[in-house]
Amino acid sequence: MQEKRVYLDNSASTRLDERVLEAMTPYFFDTYAVATSEFAYTQGIEAREALDEARLSLAKALGAEPEEFVFTSGSTESSNMALKGVALALGRKKGKHIIVSKIEDFPVLQSAEALERDGFRVTYLEVDNDGLVNPDLLRESITDETILVSIQHANQEIGTIQDIAGIGAICHEKGVLFHTDATHTFGRVLLNTRRIPVDMVTVSAHTIHGPKGIGGLYVRKGTPLSKWMDGGFQEFDLRAGLENIPGAVGFARAVELITAEENKRLRFMRDHAIRRILKEIPDTMLNGHRRKRLPHNVNISFHFVEGESITLHLDMHGFAVSTGSACFSRSLQGSHVIYGIGGDHERAHGSIRITLGRYNALEEVDAVVDTLADVISELRKISPLGKEKYGEEV
Amino acid sequence: MAEIKVECIGETCPVPLVETRKALRKAQEGDIVEVVGTHPSSKKEIPMAVKAMGLELLGVKEEKDGVWKIRIRR
Repeated sequence: MQEKRVYLDNSASTRLDERVLEAMTPYFFDTYAVATSEFAYTQGIEAREALDEARLSLAKALGAEPEEFVFTSGSTESSNMALKGVALALGRKKGKHIIVSKIEDFPVLQSAEALERDGFRVTYLEVDNDGLVNPDLLRESITDETILVSIQHANQEIGTIQDIAGIGAICHEKGVLFHTDATHTFGRVLLNTRRIPVDMVTVSAHTIHGPKGIGGLYVRKGTPLSKWMDGGFQEFDLRAGLENIPGAVGFARAVELITAEENKRLRFMRDHAIRRILKEIPDTMLNGHRRKRLPHNVNISFHFVEGESITLHLDMHGFAVSTGSACFSRSLQGSHVIYGIGGDHERAHGSIRITLGRYNALEEVDAVVDTLADVISELRKISPLGKEKYGEEV
Repeated sequence: MAEIKVECIGETCPVPLVETRKALRKAQEGDIVEVVGTHPSSKKEIPMAVKAMGLELLGVKEEKDGVWKIRIRR
C-alpha cells in the first residue's frame, strides 16, 4: 500500500509547526496554572502574563485592542458566540431578524437555523456564480428589525473572498452589527479592524499550523453581546471556562510565523495547480472567483465523476484532498456551496478541494495534478455519466 | 489466514469502496476480503482501487439479481 502521504487539505487542518509546539511546551509542564489563579500564586501570575501577551499579539494582528479579543475553543464556538450572543442581547430590545449568506460555513448557518427555531427570522442571501454577495441585495434585505449580518470573509470550499469592507459599510450605515467568519483568511488575507467596519470576527489556529482547540472572537468595544455559556467570569466575562494557556500561546506564535513570502509562495502554487488542471484535464471548471480567492485554495469540478470517488482514489495514491460532497456521512448531499453558486447536482457532487499549506512543495502540486489526470481518466471510463464520451469500447 | 466478509447490498457509491478499504486496513497480509454489493459503479471501482493499492484481485463474480462478489487478497 501507499506509504508516502501528501496532505493537501489544509483548510480542514494543518500540521503543527514545531516552533509553535516549542512555544507551547512550557505551559504544559512548568506554567500549567490557570490565569484566574493570578490572585493566589506566582504560577497564576505567570499564566496571566502569557495569556495577556498572546492576546496582545493576536489583537495586534487584527488591528485591535487586547480587550477586544476573546479566546474560544475554535471557530465553531466563536461564530456561535457572535450570532447567539447578539441574539440574546438584542432579540428582545431591537428585533429578531438576522442576515447570513447561503454559503456560510456550518457554525454560522446552523446557529442561524437554531435561532430560526427560537423565533428569529433569517434571510439567507443569494450569492452570484463566483460566490460573491450582491451589496444591493444586502442593502434591500436589511429592515428595522435586523440586528446582525454575518457574511464570511472567504468561503471554506471555493475560497472566494468577499468585499467585507463594502458589506461592513452598508451594515454600519444602516445601524446593523456585522460579523465575519475569517477562519480561512486569518494570517492569509489582511483584515484590519481599524480600517474595516466590522464588529465581530471569528478566527482559529487550526488553519495556520497552530494547535486545534483554540480560536478567538474579535468583539469591537461597545458591541452588545450576551454571555451564552455560563460558568466562570473568564475572558472579560464573555466566555466561561478554563483558559487554554498553551493553546493561546501557540495561536499567537502561529500567527507570528506567517510571512508575506509564504502567502506569495502559496499563491504561486495555487495558480500553477489551477492552470495545469484546467489546461490538461478536459471537462473541468474552476469553482470560486479566479482572483478574489484564498491564496491556498483550488476547487475544481470534474464532469462525469463523483468527488468522493476522486478523493478515495487520490488517497490510494497518497494524496489527501477533500470534496464538498458529504457522501461519507451516507447522506448523499451535494455541497451546499456549489449549489449556492448555481451549480447543478453533477457539479455539486463532482468537486474537489485542494488546499495548500506551509509544508507543501511545488513538486507535490505537480505530482497531484499528474495523478489527478490519470484518476479522472480512469474514473470517466467506468462512470455511467461519462460513458458516452469517455467509456471504453466493448 | 482469515476470510473477511463485507456486505454492501443496497449501498451506493462510495460506501462499498469505503467499507472495502476499512476491511483491507484491518486485514493481515494473506487474508481474503470478500465484498458483496449491488451498485454497478462500485463493481468497477473496487478493482481499480485494488490495482492502485497493489493488492491481488482474485475475482469479480456476477450473481443473480444484480448482486456481485469481489474477492481480494491482502
